[in-house]
Amino acid sequence: MKHRRILSLLGSLVVGLFILPGTEVMAQPKEIILGAALPITGGQSREGGYVKKAYELAIKEINDAGGVMVKQYGKKIPVKLITYDDKSDNTTSVQLYEKLVAEDKVNVLLGGYGTPLITAHTVVAEKYRVPYVNGGGATGAIYERKMKYIFCLISSIEKLAYTLMDWIAGQQDSGNLKKPLRIALMGENTSHGKEFRQGILAKAKAAPDRFQVVMDEPFEMNLKDADSLLQKVKASNADVYLADARLADYTTIHRRYTELRLYHQVVSYGPRGTEKAARDALGAASDYIVSCNWWHRDLPTEAARTFRDKYEKTYNEPAEWFPATAYETARVMAKAIEDAGTLDKTKIRDALAKMDMRNSLVVGGRVWFKPNGQIDNDYVMMQNLPGGKVSLIYPKETATAKPIVPIPQK
Amino acid sequence: MTIDIPALLVSAILLAGLYATMSYGLALIYGVMKIVNLAHAGVMMWGAYAAFILIVNAGLNPFLAPILIVPAFFFLGMFMQRYIVRRVMYAPPISSLLLLFGIWLIMQNIAYLGFTGDTRAITTTFTLMTFQVFGIAISINRLVVFGVGILALLVMRQFMGRTYTGKAIRATAQDGDASKLVGINTDRVMEIAFGLGIALASLAGSLMALIFAFDPDFGRSHLLKGFCIVVLGGLESMVGVALGSLVLAIAEALSILWIMPALQDFVSFALLVIVLIVMPGGMMGLLAKLKKT
Repeated sequence: MKHRRILSLLGSLVVGLFILPGTEVMAQPKEIILGAALPITGGQSREGGYVKKAYELAIKEINDAGGVMVKQYGKKIPVKLITYDDKSDNTTSVQLYEKLVAEDKVNVLLGGYGTPLITAHTVVAEKYRVPYVNGGGATGAIYERKMKYIFCLISSIEKLAYTLMDWIAGQQDSGNLKKPLRIALMGENTSHGKEFRQGILAKAKAAPDRFQVVMDEPFEMNLKDADSLLQKVKASNADVYLADARLADYTTIHRRYTELRLYHQVVSYGPRGTEKAARDALGAASDYIVSCNWWHRDLPTEAARTFRDKYEKTYNEPAEWFPATAYETARVMAKAIEDAGTLDKTKIRDALAKMDMRNSLVVGGRVWFKPNGQIDNDYVMMQNLPGGKVSLIYPKETATAKPIVPIPQK
Repeated sequence: MTIDIPALLVSAILLAGLYATMSYGLALIYGVMKIVNLAHAGVMMWGAYAAFILIVNAGLNPFLAPILIVPAFFFLGMFMQRYIVRRVMYAPPISSLLLLFGIWLIMQNIAYLGFTGDTRAITTTFTLMTFQVFGIAISINRLVVFGVGILALLVMRQFMGRTYTGKAIRATAQDGDASKLVGINTDRVMEIAFGLGIALASLAGSLMALIFAFDPDFGRSHLLKGFCIVVLGGLESMVGVALGSLVLAIAEALSILWIMPALQDFVSFALLVIVLIVMPGGMMGLLAKLKKT
């Protein structure tokens, strides 16, 4: 009888320990582990370096505030960040994300940078159902694979093209540009360039009274000769010249564009334009180019200014968009954990899906995700001005100056 | 849409100069050693960075920079041949291919460590400067690169035809064993030929850096084009390389009249396949055959 009483007491204790929620006796994690494989060396090392610094800055701030509040444990838990160098290699990136999940037992994953790497390693996060957020892989195709655990803090390239075309339409309405406009369009032969061209073509098709695409050409990356392309641009007799190119090709193409003395009322290389390397290489030839981007250090919001000042003070280098979106990526993940109130991966994923973060540093100040996991915010548009200056020209609420359209003819 | 064909042809001819400059070294090394120098791309890339250091950091005149770069890379090439490449000279071809591929990767990674993956470009006072001839805008940069390409061809022709070393290189290229029998130090000749090949690759890189933006991956796509040119021109002939460059540049330029510019590389590789099937000796081989008949 006595034995039976002791046994039932022990049984109750076991039930109490393992089933009753919210009891302090449940095993508490010492830390929340975030993992990321970043391109610290190799072709994407510049961008990867920015991302690493931004993650570290965000994590330091979170830990300085005591960690992330997890309701399940009734207290703040510090965060640990594990990063590896994927050497800008897709295969290595996949292996390292496998390691982060299987060996390091991360709670959540943060993304790296660049479409090829992110396309490759997101498969791992989805396979193991680990919540994953990135701020460096915009290509919409990544998020059209019906994955549930993958989220992205930067809008698609197609959206970039829409923003550009909406802005051009606005210039038509203001009387700065005529209707219809003849557009010469080209883009690198990658998913990035393809989406850019698709976006421009879709907008042109929807408004034939405004836009007429008279040339549409893909081109191979690492151009050895831009002449053939530019001869086509010249022959198309377009009013506006829109292209999507990576930095090296943008520099090569626009040098040749200038040498051939081409002129268009609007010139854009999509997200490219304001980079210091390109402006140094092109000099005055880069003046008045308009570009679209996910963030800019001059965005007139408190969140953007705060980040810019913190980042530049910490690292003594200008805050570009790469660290800005990466910093916010880490903060969004921390908020998702806090919203979920648990380290349960499915619940964190659900919190990300329902995310509605305000006063963020992103354009528009709001972080939310479409059903495919990608944000759908506006881009900020910039225009290069003489003397290496840049003005923000779109959307209206972030604009710091009126655009100069048509571009002055030299 | 009316394409300006004369402008396209002028641009193709100028591009041919660039193609030739980047392919001479490849042809020379293959001709003498029967080695495909996969490290060629790495040397071009290092040549570009060397030009960047001398022109941007040290403030040297852009056209004086190659005068320092070429000899330095010549000795680097000799060193590479003597202490690294020579060890696999008589091994199966795959050994030298892998070795030189490995050297390329090492060069690339050293560049990533030293210069990061940032895109760089050299801007000089004459960058973007052009002049008009019959309404065609001609870039001074490209014209100079073309001129240096022609000059390199003439100098190499004179060197190969008039000097003892040049003749020894040609003799070794034709028959290494026979050259040894007549007293030519073929090891030394190969060292010099490899040095010259590397020097020419660095010259190409330093000139290309005046036109293109570059990063440590620079040279990869140029290497493939270089292969097409040396096969097209004839694997061992400098004049063949110049001719091959011209044919390829014109074919690529005019191809946009019929196909989209993104398929320009298709033109190069289609030509490569056709040449390998129809005239394996390249254009020079074909010319030699025609002369005989």
